[in-house]
Amino acid sequence: MEKLMAALKAQIVEQLNLQEVKPEEIGDDQPLFKEGLGLDSIDALELIVLLQQNYNIRIANPEQGPEIFRSVRTMAEFITAHQTKQ
Amino acid sequence: MSIYIQGTGCVSPLETAAEGLFPAVVNPAYDGARLKVSDPDYKQWIDIKQIRRMSRIIKMGVAAAKLSLQEAGVEKPDAIITGTAYGCLDDTGVFLTKMINQQEEMLTPTSFIQSTHNTVAGQIALMLSCHAYNNTFVHKGFSFESALLDSIMILKEGKSKHILMGGMDELTTHSFNIISRFNRFKKEPITHTELLHSTTPGTIAGEGAACFVLGTEKGDNSYARLTGLTTSYKPGSTAEIAADIIAFLAVHEITQEDIDLLITGRNGDSEEDVWYEHVESTLFPGQAVGCFKHLCGEYPTASSFGMWVGCKVLSSGQVPATVLFKGKTREKIKKVLIYNHYKGTHHSLILLTGC
Repeated sequence: MEKLMAALKAQIVEQLNLQEVKPEEIGDDQPLFKEGLGLDSIDALELIVLLQQNYNIRIANPEQGPEIFRSVRTMAEFITAHQTKQ
Repeated sequence: MSIYIQGTGCVSPLETAAEGLFPAVVNPAYDGARLKVSDPDYKQWIDIKQIRRMSRIIKMGVAAAKLSLQEAGVEKPDAIITGTAYGCLDDTGVFLTKMINQQEEMLTPTSFIQSTHNTVAGQIALMLSCHAYNNTFVHKGFSFESALLDSIMILKEGKSKHILMGGMDELTTHSFNIISRFNRFKKEPITHTELLHSTTPGTIAGEGAACFVLGTEKGDNSYARLTGLTTSYKPGSTAEIAADIIAFLAVHEITQEDIDLLITGRNGDSEEDVWYEHVESTLFPGQAVGCFKHLCGEYPTASSFGMWVGCKVLSSGQVPATVLFKGKTREKIKKVLIYNHYKGTHHSLILLTGC
């Protein structure tokens, strides 16, 4: 899980071009949107593509989005759960 | 009704992204036949969270817009109007490359959203929370002039007080390589002091963004009055454009003698400069002539940089040595005529008067 979260942080920084943020500065449970990392709806679309490109995961139900993308940990848990199912 | 240029902002290959006069040090760094913008620290105008999605042309345009609003003391204009021929080329390239590489699958939204021609005007509006008229003109070598014409017409309707308008284009490695195939650029190395005297075909590729706040009242920092604008598409001969200039001046009840400085878009291309040679020698013999494309390079909206130079000349009353091409400047500079053409097809005249 730790390794996956570290990889996710680096991918988020790269995909979203977060110029002033270092991957290690993102907390595991830090909210990604609004008051946390300050991401917005366009970033949400970028994160969906990130999951597809890097983990071959398509989010079937858009209503799951807020829960999956709450933090790096929730993203990692979703990926792990999805990979276990496969 | 008079139209005043109440503020300007310019991002160019020179250190122009600051309030005040023409930069004291002028040393544009030619990279072969290419002249790149000297990027200022964009964080002084753009929030760090927004900057990460912006390509260079958006940053250039937003910075020029903010600078001109700052100078004019205007927070929210009544309209935002831009002109760009190439639009957001860099993001277009990113998006198209991804489409090909990823076989049209899993495309990310940012480069698509940012690749449209009206992104700069839209981004400025978003930053200012300005819901007023917002328009972008994409008309090749008349893109800036069309934006200017629209601004003039809106102001003449009398419903708007301040309009933010500008012209911007960026050069990317892709676009430079593509345009180079048409032999548009110099093959031999050249410097900015040599370019205007060149006798070979081709010019220097350039880029930049220049914005202006136009209004019907003379503000504290007003640079000049925008007295006239006209365009001519594919004039048949140099004699025809000379006749057009005489007619344009006559409409404004002046003659060539009244022009204190002629600023031309001379770009060092021996085939394109014949237009300027003819106009200078037949209509303005012995008069002061200035140039600007050795400082910004050639691009479809370069006339916006020419207008920015004209504003600086009128506000300071002096022609910078690097701008003066020939002739002797008069003691007082009250009227500046900017004659530019793009590729010999899109000719424009802008008349500025000191205020």
